[in-house]
Amino acid sequence: MRAIYLIARREYLSYVATWGFWLSLASMPMFMALGFGLPILIENSQPVRYYAVIDESGGALEAAITAQAETATDAAASDAPASADKYIRVHPPATDIEALRPFLLGEQKVETDDGPQPLFAAIYLRQDATGGVEIEYWSTNLTDGELRADIRRTLSEYMQLNRLIENGVSPELVAEAGALAPTVRELNPERSVDTAEVTSAERLPIIVAIGVAFGLWIVIFSVVNMLLTAMIEEKGNKVLEMMLASSRHHEILTGKLLGVALVSTTLLLVWGGLAATVGLGLQQLPFAAGLPLGEIMAAVLDPGLIFPAIGYFIIGYLMYGAIFLAIGSLCETLQDAQTLMSPMMLIMMVPLFLVMVAADSPDSPIIVIASWVPLWTPFIMLARLPQDPALFDIIGTTLVMVATAAGVIWGAGVMFRMGALNQANQDTVKGWFRLGGKRKPG
Amino acid sequence: MSEIILSLAGVSKTFNGKAAVSDLSFDVRRGKITGFLGPNGAGKSTSLRMALGILTPDSGQVSLFGGRPRASALERVGFLPEERGLYRKMKVIDVIIFFARLKGVAPIEARRRGLAMLDEFGLGDVAESKVKTLSKGMAQKIQIIATLIHDPEFIILDEPFSGLDPVNQKALERIVRARAEAGATILFSTHVMEHAERLCDQIVLVARGRKVFDGTVEEALGHVPRRVVLETVSETDLTPVFAPLGEIAESRANADGAHHWMINLGRGVEAQDVLKACVDGNIKLLRFEPARAHLHDAFVHLVETSGQFSNEKLEGEAV
Repeated sequence: MRAIYLIARREYLSYVATWGFWLSLASMPMFMALGFGLPILIENSQPVRYYAVIDESGGALEAAITAQAETATDAAASDAPASADKYIRVHPPATDIEALRPFLLGEQKVETDDGPQPLFAAIYLRQDATGGVEIEYWSTNLTDGELRADIRRTLSEYMQLNRLIENGVSPELVAEAGALAPTVRELNPERSVDTAEVTSAERLPIIVAIGVAFGLWIVIFSVVNMLLTAMIEEKGNKVLEMMLASSRHHEILTGKLLGVALVSTTLLLVWGGLAATVGLGLQQLPFAAGLPLGEIMAAVLDPGLIFPAIGYFIIGYLMYGAIFLAIGSLCETLQDAQTLMSPMMLIMMVPLFLVMVAADSPDSPIIVIASWVPLWTPFIMLARLPQDPALFDIIGTTLVMVATAAGVIWGAGVMFRMGALNQANQDTVKGWFRLGGKRKPG
Repeated sequence: MSEIILSLAGVSKTFNGKAAVSDLSFDVRRGKITGFLGPNGAGKSTSLRMALGILTPDSGQVSLFGGRPRASALERVGFLPEERGLYRKMKVIDVIIFFARLKGVAPIEARRRGLAMLDEFGLGDVAESKVKTLSKGMAQKIQIIATLIHDPEFIILDEPFSGLDPVNQKALERIVRARAEAGATILFSTHVMEHAERLCDQIVLVARGRKVFDGTVEEALGHVPRRVVLETVSETDLTPVFAPLGEIAESRANADGAHHWMINLGRGVEAQDVLKACVDGNIKLLRFEPARAHLHDAFVHLVETSGQFSNEKLEGEAV
């Protein structure tokens, strides 16, 4: 036990002293901050676009656009998202496109309330005798199509409304018809009629479970890679035999797994603590008052999720950790490890996609079958748990996973023992998969 | 006879169908320096790994301190493996403390002993340096310190002299002697016979996984014929004079007109008898040199006479 403790302690302290650990620690909050903050930053940093409308139809089309812009401004005032602030209509400095061209090319500026500004777009509107409308959209920006789509939608609604009015439908009736929408009640047949209604808060555990499954995957993926790199380094430095002079193979293997497990526990605790602190902090802010932070916390800490998550983490980590340690013990360099790593990486990537499918179709045959694959069970079953999978599935997959983990750890121990003393290398593993069991001559 | 610390009895080990060690038996006795000698690939490292329980023999018995080589026995053993390295990113003193603690030394005592041994080895000023900044020779001294830090009663050194310059080889020889004088039992493997010749009370010679000799250095040298090298000037053939004294191993005419002889002395014949024969025969001598046998010669001779191996192969293997 002393050797296991000392090896685990050394491993833990050596990882914590690396840049990789601190980068991993910072990566999750950094990515979350980027995930939330970047769209807001992009939204806020986008410049205001100034455009001009030249209505050659006599003013009716421009009036329709003006009316739509006013409606959008009213909507923006009631906290609804709108593009009204991004696009500001200005009086056209000229009506002829040749005269407008220098403004569109940025050679000349139009006068605005914000001072002289480049003209983003010039929109010519025409209407023929049959009521058909043509929009001529001049702009050097080929990618930002939001304004073009807004104008098109506005005039499309205008044309449809006109047609209805021409056929005797009153504008009030059209507005009334447009506001019609069914009310939807989602009910769970497993409950009594009084309590059958499903609320949006009830979906939170499913979303949280998927989040936890992803988190689990990220943690396992990060730490097993650390484990592999450190193992290869140790093998290359020829420290292993010095270690074997003081401790047994299983003590080294267990100590290493335990040390890295402590590293991942540290990561999880720091991330969890940070998330809880940010969540509690957000609750005090007025703009986040409407967010269901309390429900999210309750869903994360639900014993029905947290205890299986801990169990799946331990088993998943042991399986992948033991495999990556064994791979590391067979290789002298990272290049050597690439060949053996590739199939493992593919295997590890699959649950990432399946977890997303499991969110919508937890009873899909593919998901049910995939959850019986022991290396995927920790992630897929975790995502399935809030949707009440069959008890047979829960018990069966767990038993298969635990049995496989025991087998993998045993096998990894054998490989580690052979690899540590250079009695096996990556070619040995390749040889197992060689077609027809052909052996090298000699 | 002193207590047996390590005993291998009929031990064999095969890797991928190739025998690394075959039916090997020898004992290491308390307080002795035992040399485990043989060319590269003779099975020395495999045998030492089996002695410590790092590898399990396919057949035969290993006894360490009177029992199976269990993990608990490792605390009484200091093992310097042939494939040795250190944690490059750790500080020197921390590496030493780590290995000392693995051997059951308390942290404060480990630091005290570590600093003392670093001073003893002339490395006191690198205690707080990272291992990666050390030269190869310095790193090897740190490995030796890490092996000896817990003051083991049984020290196993696998090719301890390889990688050391002559000065450090001498220093290591002094350390081995000092530990032995302090009561430690020492087993070391080497393919360089000179070290064993200078240090060992007992030697075990192996070749291709098999033992070819087990005894003292003197006993090993006793197997090698004593020789005399002569250079004579004579107009007559001297073969009838020298033939009764032993086997004439070499006889050739030199470019300067002298004749070169190497005579393997026969049983009961001394070098003085050859000299007397020369004086009695009025033979003009340019050179008379009784040749001292070396362990290398003993090794080659023992292997040849064991009849297990071809001569030219072993001449190539032995260093």
